[in-house]
Formats: sequence, C-alpha cells, structure tokens
Amino acid sequence: MGTDSKRGKKAARSNPFRRIGNSFSEFGKRFTDGSVGTKLSHFIFGAGSFYHGQIVKGIIFLLIQLGILAVMIFCPSINNTPYGWKALVNLSLKNAFEGGEFDPATGEMAIGSDCKLMILFGFVTIALIFIYFIVWNLNIASSYKADNDKKVGKKPTTIKEDLKELLDGKFHVLMLTPTCIAATVFTILPTIFMIALAFTTYNQQDMNNLGTNLFKWNGLQNFAAVFTGEGSLGFEIKNRFLPVLGWTFIWAIFATLTCYFGGIILALLINKKDLKGKKVFRTLFILTIAVPQFISLLAVRNLLGEYGPINSLLQSIGWIQEPIGFLGLKATDSEILAKIMVIVVNMWVGIPYTMLMTSGILMNIPTDLYEAARVDGTSTVKMFFKITLPYVIFITTPYLISSFVGNINSFNTIYLLTGGGPTYPGYQAGGTDLLVTWLYKVTIDQGMYNTGAVIGIFTFLITATITLITYRRSKAYNEEDTFQ
Amino acid sequence: MSNNTNKKYRSQSKNRRISLIVTYTILAVMAVIWLIPLLWIFISAFRCEYQPDGTFIGRVTSNFFPRAVGFENFRLLFTETYYGVDHAFVRWIVNTLIISVIDCVISTFLVLSVAYCIAKLKFKLRKAFMNITMILGLFPGFMSMIAIYFLLKSIGLSGNPSHPELSLVGLVLAYSAGAGLGFQIAKGFFDVIPNALVESAKLDGCTNFKVFWKIILPLAKPIIIYQALMSFTGPWMDFIFAKVIIGADNAKYWTVSVGLYSMLFGTHPDTNLFTQFAAGCVIVAIPIVTLFMFLQKYYVEGVTAGAVKG
Amino acid sequence: MKKLLALLLVLSLTAVIFAGCGSTEEKVIRIWVGEESVEFYQTLCDEYVAAHPDFGYAVQVKGMDTGTIAGTIATDPKAAADIYTAAHDNIGKLASTQCAKPIGDQSLIDQVLADNPESFRNVIYSTLNGTKYLYGVPYISQALFLYYNKALVTEEQAKTFEGLREAAKAAGTKAITVVGDDGYNMSFALLATKVSDHGTTVKIYEGADAVAGGSKGTSNCQGDDTVAIMRWLQDYAADENGFKWASPDGWDADLDKSNNGVLAVIGGAWHYNTAKAALGETNLGIALIPTFTLTEKAVEGLSGVSAGDVYRGGTFADCKCFMINANSSKEKYAKEQELIKFMSSKEAQNRSYLACLNVPAYVGASSYIEQCYKDGKVTESQYNLAAMQVAMAEWGIPQPFITGTLNSYFYSKNAPSVFRAIIDKTAYPTTGDTILSETESLTGVRKALYLVEYLWMHGTVPKEFPTDLPKHD
Repeated sequence: MGTDSKRGKKAARSNPFRRIGNSFSEFGKRFTDGSVGTKLSHFIFGAGSFYHGQIVKGIIFLLIQLGILAVMIFCPSINNTPYGWKALVNLSLKNAFEGGEFDPATGEMAIGSDCKLMILFGFVTIALIFIYFIVWNLNIASSYKADNDKKVGKKPTTIKEDLKELLDGKFHVLMLTPTCIAATVFTILPTIFMIALAFTTYNQQDMNNLGTNLFKWNGLQNFAAVFTGEGSLGFEIKNRFLPVLGWTFIWAIFATLTCYFGGIILALLINKKDLKGKKVFRTLFILTIAVPQFISLLAVRNLLGEYGPINSLLQSIGWIQEPIGFLGLKATDSEILAKIMVIVVNMWVGIPYTMLMTSGILMNIPTDLYEAARVDGTSTVKMFFKITLPYVIFITTPYLISSFVGNINSFNTIYLLTGGGPTYPGYQAGGTDLLVTWLYKVTIDQGMYNTGAVIGIFTFLITATITLITYRRSKAYNEEDTFQ
Repeated sequence: MSNNTNKKYRSQSKNRRISLIVTYTILAVMAVIWLIPLLWIFISAFRCEYQPDGTFIGRVTSNFFPRAVGFENFRLLFTETYYGVDHAFVRWIVNTLIISVIDCVISTFLVLSVAYCIAKLKFKLRKAFMNITMILGLFPGFMSMIAIYFLLKSIGLSGNPSHPELSLVGLVLAYSAGAGLGFQIAKGFFDVIPNALVESAKLDGCTNFKVFWKIILPLAKPIIIYQALMSFTGPWMDFIFAKVIIGADNAKYWTVSVGLYSMLFGTHPDTNLFTQFAAGCVIVAIPIVTLFMFLQKYYVEGVTAGAVKG
Repeated sequence: MKKLLALLLVLSLTAVIFAGCGSTEEKVIRIWVGEESVEFYQTLCDEYVAAHPDFGYAVQVKGMDTGTIAGTIATDPKAAADIYTAAHDNIGKLASTQCAKPIGDQSLIDQVLADNPESFRNVIYSTLNGTKYLYGVPYISQALFLYYNKALVTEEQAKTFEGLREAAKAAGTKAITVVGDDGYNMSFALLATKVSDHGTTVKIYEGADAVAGGSKGTSNCQGDDTVAIMRWLQDYAADENGFKWASPDGWDADLDKSNNGVLAVIGGAWHYNTAKAALGETNLGIALIPTFTLTEKAVEGLSGVSAGDVYRGGTFADCKCFMINANSSKEKYAKEQELIKFMSSKEAQNRSYLACLNVPAYVGASSYIEQCYKDGKVTESQYNLAAMQVAMAEWGIPQPFITGTLNSYFYSKNAPSVFRAIIDKTAYPTTGDTILSETESLTGVRKALYLVEYLWMHGTVPKEFPTDLPKHD
C-alpha cells in the first residue's frame, strides 16, 4: 500500500454505499429533470431514443426489453425445465416431483424433475433480470444525455457516431464485450452453479441408494459434515481432508522449490561462458516441454511399471529381487516412495521450464556487479549466492507465487503417474491425491457433486488466501496501480 | 611478477577447463535422463515383436530396446477400428486439427483484445475486471467443468444424440470462451510498450482502434505467436475436458489425446495397444515439437514475460 | 455504448434458452451395446428393418463398455440411447432413478419367461411406484472361469489350485491371479462351494425387497467355511508360487511368459482377446475355476469344516440385458420392444455366439454350443470359452443386487478392499476408531468378515467390533 492520501482516495472511489447513494439521487434527478422521452424510458425501453430520433438505438433497447419480458412471462422450457418466472419459483426445488407414473400399454412414463437444470436455469434467469436492469439504466442514461446535448445546442448522436465512438473512446467496450459474454456464460455461471451445489444434497451415490433422482437444498449441512463426519460426504472429508491438504502443501512446496532451483542451476550450467553447444542443450530440454504431458508422463509411468524396463534392469543387475512399486499403483506399495517419485518426476517436467525462464534473466544481470566482485576476489560459488540468486529471486517472485498456486492445482503429474495411489481402502482420496485430483475423482468418477463443490470451495479459499497475502505485498501489484 | 601472473593465469585456465569438462559431463548426463522416456516411446512405436504363433505383442515389455522393428504399429493405427469407429485415429487427428485451428484464432484474438484494453486503456471498471478475473482464476478448473457440460447440453452442443458432431462446436466454445481471462502474459508484454508511443499517435488523431491495429499489433508479433502456439497446442494435450464435453460414447468425435489416453486408461483399456499408443504419440508429438522448435524464440519470450510479470 | 454489450449478452442468453426448443423427433432408434458386438447388432438390426418395411425407424448401434453405459445413464439419462445394454445388477439402480422403462409387451415378457433360467428370472424385475415390472431382457450370460498357459500347465494340474502351484514351482513363477480385486472378481473366493454338495454358508441379500429403502434381506459371510477359505487363501497367497494380485501393468503382463508372472488367471469371456494376445491361441487353455483342499492349518480352531474338504472357486453367473431408456419417447415404445424381442430371440443369441462369442443366456444353449463345435464352426478354445462359462453357472449365483442400494453397498462401500486386506494380511484402516490390525490371526479374519458383512448391510463401518463373533446385525 502506498501513502495515506492514496489509500483515502482509493477508499472513496470504491466505497460501494456512497456510489449507490449517488446513483439513487441521480435516478430521481433523471426522472424529474428529463424530457418526456426520458420519463417514458423508465417504462418503455428505447422511448427516449425514439423521442430523440435515434431509431436504431431505440429498436435495440425495445428488442432487449421485449425479449427478456417474453422469456420471463412465457417461460420457454428445455428438457421439461422452464426459464422465466417459473425458474425463479423452481429455484427453491420445493416443487420438484418424483415422476414414475407408467402405463405399460402405451409406454408413457412421467419423468421426474431435473433438479440440476432447475438450479441452472434459475441462475440464468437471475442473470437475465440483472441485465434487464442494466439495460434499463443505460436506456435512461442515453436519453438523458441526449436531453443535455439538446440543452447545450448539440444534436443527439446518430447511430453512425455511436459506432464510430466504439472504435475510439469506447474501444474497450468493443474489445471486452466478447470476453465478458463468454466469461459470464462459461465461467461465472458455471462457477456460481457449482458453488450452489455445495449447499444441496446432490450426490449421485446417495441418490442411487435412496432410489431417487431428486435432490434438495440442505443449507450448511455439508460444511458441518466436514467436522461431524456424518453421511457419505462427511466420512470421506472428515478423515481425508487434513491428510490431503497437508500433502498438497508439502507437494506444492517441494515441487515449486525443486523445479525452481533445479532450473536456475541448469540455466547457469547451460549459460556458462565458453560452453559450446548451448543451443543444442537448450533445444534438448525444450523438447520435453513440447511433448504433451500425457505422453511423457505415461511413458515414465510405464517405464517404472512392475514389468517395465527399469524394474527388470534393476532385477537383472541384482540390486532388487522383487519389482518395486515406484508409483503406489498397488494398495500395498509404499506411500512415501510414491510421494518421492512424483516429486522427482515432476522435476523432470518442471526444470526445463524454469531453465528457459531464468536463462533470459541471467543474461540480463548487470555485468558490472560481477566485475566488481571479481576484483574483490570473490569465489564463483559466493558470487552465485551473493549476486545471481538474490537477483533472480527478486525478479521472479511473482512467478514463484504463481507457480506455487499452480502446483496446488497441478493435476496431470499426479493423475497420470500415480492416479492418487496407493489407495486408502474406504476412501476416494489415496496417498498421493491432491485436492484437485480428489475433486476430480469425487465429481467426475463418483458423481458426488456436493462433496466436490465443498472440496472446490476449500481449495479456492486456500489459494485465494495465499494469493491475496503474497500478491498484495508484491511489487507488481503495487506498481500496477500507478503505471498509467 | 609477470611470471607469477602467467602462472596464475595458466592455473586459472586449467581450472576453467576442468570446470568446463565437469559442466559438459553434468549436462550430458542430464540430457540423457531427460531424453530416455521420450526415446523409449519413440522406439516403442517402431517395435514389431511377435509371439511364436504369430500374435502381435503390443504391451510393455521388459526390454528397453525392441527385438525387431517395423512400421506395423503405424499401419494398425491408421487401419484399425477403435471403439467401433473405422479409421478412428485419422478422424481424431482431423477433429483435433479443426478444433485447435478455430480455438487458436478465437483465443488469440480474445487474449490480445483484453490484454490491450487492460494495459493501455483507461476505463471505469478496469480494476474491477482484473480483480474478478483473478478471483475466477483461483477456482479449480474442474469445478466448473461438469456445469459447462450441463450448460452445453441444455443448448444441444454436447451430448446431443441426434447431432453428436455438435459436441465439437461445444468443445471449441468451452476451450476459447475463457481464453480472454488469461490475458496476464500478453498484458505484461503490452505494459512494456512505452505509453509515449500511444500518446503521440493519439495526438496525431489516431483513434484507439487505429492505435491498436496500426501500432500495437505490428509490435506484438512475438506475443501473438506465443498465444497462438499455446492455444493451438492446448487441444492436442488436453484429455480430461475434451472427454467430458464430447462424451465417452462419442468416440467418432474424440480428440486425438482422448483417443490415445483411452487406449491405455479408458473404461476398456487394452494393455496390448501400448505400441500403437506409442505410434500415435509419435505422430502427435512430431508436429507439435517441430512447431515449438521453429517458434522457440517466441515461446521463450512469452515464458520470460510471464515469469517476470506474474 | 454498453448497449451493444448488453444486446449481445441478451441475444446469446436468449439463444441459449431457445436453441434447445426447436429440436424435432427423429425416426431413429439408438442402441448401445458392448464394444465387441457393435457390428453384429448393426447388421442384425439392419436386416430386420429391411425385412420389415413397416417398421418405420432406422437403427443406429454404438459400442460402449457396459460399466460406462451404466455410469453415463445414471448421470445423464437424456443423453443416452433408446435401448441400452446393462449387466442385470444395475437394474435396481437404473429403475429407481428413472433411467429405465419397464417392459410392457406381454409377448416379449412371455418370451423372456419361457427362455431364461429361473436364476435370471429372479433378478430382472424391479419396482416402480409399488408395482413390480420386468425391466431387463437377458441376451448374454457371463461367468468367471480360468485361463491358463497350456505350455507350462497340464490339463490335470489346471484342475486344482495345488496342481497350479506345483506347475508354478517348476516354472519359477506364481500360480494364479485374478483380473481385478473388485467385488465382482472376488466372487471366486467368496462364492467357493463344497464340491461334494455345492454347500456354502454365504448369503448375500437373500429375500431382499426390490424397493429402494426396503428390507435388505439376510446376509452372511462369517461362516466357518468362509473363514477357513480365507485362511487357506492367505497361505496360498503367501506361498512364493501361489496367488498374486494382478500387476498394475495389466494382468496380461503377468500372464506373458517372458515376465515370469503367473501361469493362470481367473477372468471372463471379455478378456479372451487379451489373454490370447498374451499367450497365443495354441497355448491358451480354458478350464473351470479350480478346486482346492482345505489344509489342517486353515481349519484350525474351526468347527463344521475339516481338513481335506474340497471346495471349488465360485463366480457370479450373470446376464447382460437389453433395457429401454425411460426418456425414450412413447411413440418408439412398441417398436423398441419389437426390436428387443428380435434381438434377444434364441436365433439372434445363437448368431451372436458365432459372430462375437457372446454366450447365449437362454436355457439349453449348451447343446447349440456343442453342436457348433462338432460342426467345426468354432475352434476348440472358442468352444471351451462358452462351455466353461455354461458349466461355471452351476457353481455360482447371479448378482443379487435388486436395488441400487444393494449394488452400491456391496461394491462401493469398500467391502472388496477388506478382502484384499485379509489376503494381504495387512491392517485395514477404516475410520480410525476401528482399525483392524490383526488380519493374520483367526480372530482377525473373523473380524474382517464381520466388517464385510456390516458394510454390505449398513454401507458404513461399525462403531466397534462385538466380542462374540460370529454375530449378525
């Protein structure tokens, strides 16, 4: 954080209450001060635009209003699940029905409600209502602006001028619109939906056991279950959450640091003065980055298999009698070994990446620093610890943080190498499972969506905390505020 | 005195030679370790061993080097019917190619447009946009995966029994829709372009669009290539998202990574398909690796920019 | 200019809303069958459609693993085919979650009842709104049996576990493995019966109600014979030439003789091609699951069993069924049943045996199988494959999981991993309160089996172990 004055300014800018208060007074002013068109705009979208002769704009506003209202009133439905006001009612899941009436003669069968779609469509409808009010506000603002333009003797903007403005003053609107739409539909909506599932009984396993395809809201019970260990959800989470969380942290720390320092050392070696064939070496290591991970990791997995080349080599030279279960693929295999192996193999995956990244930075270290040190007779090792390392760490701190968070969410290495094994009898989460691989097993393999959502929310809280603490303190964040 | 320096110099150069030799050795050993798994997949693809009675051996064997080599795996890969789909591998390649090209165009465009706005334009919700993006990025991706499937399915773009091919459209949407939120690296790149350049162009009467089109884009070639490379190779590497969106029953429209992964780890894995899997890997890896090698410079630039900017 | 943004957002959302509405009903019946039989059923149905011009629907067959089918349908029945195949043990689950529609056509019901053995007839029903309906139409039967390496094991040796061990000693390998350690494959040990009278004390959900939440019937797996069998298997697994679990590299890697893994594997017909690839057809022997003789050590401290008793490994003897998707439109219903009736007819089942080695499910299929061998239509191993499955059906029972709960409690609540812990003699960490550490001893085995039974009946681990075992809750 910067100076006090800066903080004060920021607070004023982002105080949501004041902003809301301002907007309300503005709303009232627009209604009283505005022209007939502006007043009418409060009820019929685009009325103001028509009043000011901006026909195209008016039509767009009107279409949006009619479209949303049509959806809200007529409630079109997909898979027997409606949108519109019915979707808002459905959001409670109270009127979900079981179905099952069957007529053996005609084959007619009443299919029960689809609770997940009821929730999903409810959220889509809420999003539509939000948009309705945003457009409502825009259409009034547009008309009010035209009023003011008229007052000072300017003509209201034509559609051509509006479009032109889109390429200049409002260029960001044009450029960000596609991403905003896509993100709303494919990122924000699904994320909210999944968060919502954490507060339901949507668990395919339990539903099968109960012989139903309906689920309902159950408040904070899923989170309470984490502590009480009740139900299929609590049983899994209560007993496995802390071990998995602990291992996730150990993994993230080791995976980040081993790759980081390994990469720096490799970069130093490759960039050593007088070393010939720098390019060849670098290309060789890039090769491992370029090959898709599912290929290289599955290759490693098979190499390390019970009858794979490595075990048979070790057996034939007499180092071992029985094959070693390196990757914990059997329940009786060593968990510690599996954990060590994934970290080691992960170095194989990650070191070339850090090497590439730090190479550029190493070459940019001001040479006068070294010259000065050399004159003082400092040894190479000392120079590394006194100059190179601090410099590189200083520059790459943001990377270190993001790679730590990335490793918390690292899926491929674990999933492809050990599949989370060795398994713990009785649980989905095995010895090397991270929060993400656990989340995957629980949702995709087992259909325990509420459990998955709870795990996902916990993962989010953890990564968010780490990121907030470190990112807020970092140079990049604080400079970001002042860059323009 | 001069004699002394000479000696010192000579011993220094000797030291340097020794340290060079050590470096070479370490690097060589590391290179071998790094290449062994890839080499193994490569030679497994050409393995061509048979049982005494003529049955083809496709599973992992304990010998690192094959006892016999040939192109049988490649022949099988292109002619066999996998998962009830004729010429499945060729189809998978074509599917992946289509998806990756479209995804590449859309994603690159979205990333650049967002990055430019955030880096070089001032507007009201800029900071809010960045914060929301950051928060969204902290949710594990798998969490929303199944919801995206339900969403796509409800509009018929996934799991649509009468039009299974629409799943490809769904997958492109799923891949590219979120691309704009990964603008950080490109933004880091644009940040470095001096603001003065933009300001002076604006003084000359350039619109924001013209600044972007005429000034920024030509300067942004490295980052364009980096983003294009990343989004093009993405679909070749993803085996989880694609399977959920396209569906386990929809083998005809799988991407190549889903197909290859399913050979070994599907619900119907066949360990005897390992060498064919390896052959498939070689076919997939060669173009991607070539691409990486050619565009190495840009890739390194992107990676470095990402590292420093975070 | 946020109008444009808003417009696009609205348009895309409304498009999302309306896009799903316009789809029209197609004249296609979609079928999902096992991957190995796709081509066969496509041809069969095409023939049928061609021969019946008034049928009015095209048929589209897709291949999918049965497990995947059950999974896909449970998550998302609307994306599934009109007719799909499922192992009969999924019927309860699929029916109660409205993924399957009952069979209503009387002539089809009559055909099913007339053709199929009683064991199958009992497990293809389920309940909908209080009424009992027929849900699945059996068309393939399947059971576990033994694949062995003929080059290293004689036919006589393959008849007993002891014989296999002897051969393994000579070859310097392990004797036998099983394709998986799940509840299904573990049936080879669980359902082992005394050869002299087919006797066992094991009961799994006997007399359970076919309604979700209904009675689970009675179960027993703590009988002295089961304890003795587990004790015997512990010793057999500890023997350096005895039993081993399948390698994570695949059981076929075990079977491959260059790896010196095992000489025999217990598996099903769907493993035929892989086993053939591992051994070569000439070396591929197929036999009943072998017998074993209880040792003094195994029966020590037990009553009702004595050393020298001979038991044969058992199996779940199942059927795969055609089922109708509940979401399939009622217009198709009559035609779907017509098609199923045809596809499950004896003639169609016979043809499917010749085309894809699917073992027919109807009563008396063995005589047809024998005839085919005599006529030279199938090879010896292909004949054995079917004949041994039919023979094994006498040494097994169909999976008695008539509701989804029973299926899930048996398979998904970790009872199978307790079996594995017993055989490995490892501790079984359950909830922390009930760690089972002494699986090596007689009481340990008893406790573990109590745990298994408790998991079957309650789906969760007991708070503590009672002191007076055997005890049934």
